[in-house]
Amino acid sequence: MNRHRYSLADLEANGIPTHALTAEQLEVLRDLTDDEFTLLVDIRSRLEAVGPDVQAHSDIAGAALF
Amino acid sequence: MSRPAGRRAAAATLRATIAQAAPTLRAASARLWQRPGLPGRYRGYLCAMHAVVRASVPVMEFAAGRCAELVDDPVGGPLQAYLRHHIEEERGHDDWLAADLAELGAGADPAGLLAQPPPAAAALVGPQYYWIAHVHPVAVLGYIAVLEANAPAVRLVDRLTSAGIPERAVRTVREHAVLDTGHTEQVFSLLDELPLTEEQLRLVSISGLQTAQALVGLYLHVLRRNPPA
Repeated sequence: MNRHRYSLADLEANGIPTHALTAEQLEVLRDLTDDEFTLLVDIRSRLEAVGPDVQAHSDIAGAALF
Repeated sequence: MSRPAGRRAAAATLRATIAQAAPTLRAASARLWQRPGLPGRYRGYLCAMHAVVRASVPVMEFAAGRCAELVDDPVGGPLQAYLRHHIEEERGHDDWLAADLAELGAGADPAGLLAQPPPAAAALVGPQYYWIAHVHPVAVLGYIAVLEANAPAVRLVDRLTSAGIPERAVRTVREHAVLDTGHTEQVFSLLDELPLTEEQLRLVSISGLQTAQALVGLYLHVLRRNPPA
């Protein structure tokens, strides 16, 4: 069965930058299912809401999960 | 049920997927550590994380129990063995969080902590019960992978203490900055060892992404309750 694959344009248009990805990483993202893609796009969309002014602190703290 | 020839390694696939969620997680987390109001926000963060971590062992025990029920499933045995081992590694860490809260003089009475956990914590942990009960216990590996792969950085301890938070109240952050590096490798190694089907790997990925999504919600909950002054 041929399943839909996301294009680079699909990924970029939905807030998933592709320029720094390896070929293998890119293939993984192009092969995401619709459910995976929807979840990932939602997560990426929240990055804008968080704002760029605190990016430096993320280098200090990590995501701080246990 | 064996891995189809030529399929990508499971660990690399999951790493590539959840890596795309990491910037949002780190940025949301970073907002917690802004200086204004940091001590109060740290307390809120500890309470929220206590609500999550208290569920770590029970969720894994539930998953291990489901593994034991599986028949003719080559994933169940090694998954159960991993979970039994990891349960012992994680056991009691909610007590560490309660102790850190007590050091803050923040009313770490267990009954008080358990009485009103934030809905965002239930939204984070709850899906695991669904996936484990109704689909396959391997889903919990996505949850574990996201939590373990996003451990606190060692430098967070300095940031917290320089804001006036007592050293003795940051034990959980300090310990996990060291412990979770090894735990991350364990879970990703297991993913490559398990004979996962394509559907099971997708389930792990969905579970991981859903975990990341809910974690952002949990951080935003803490921020709303304790906004930077």
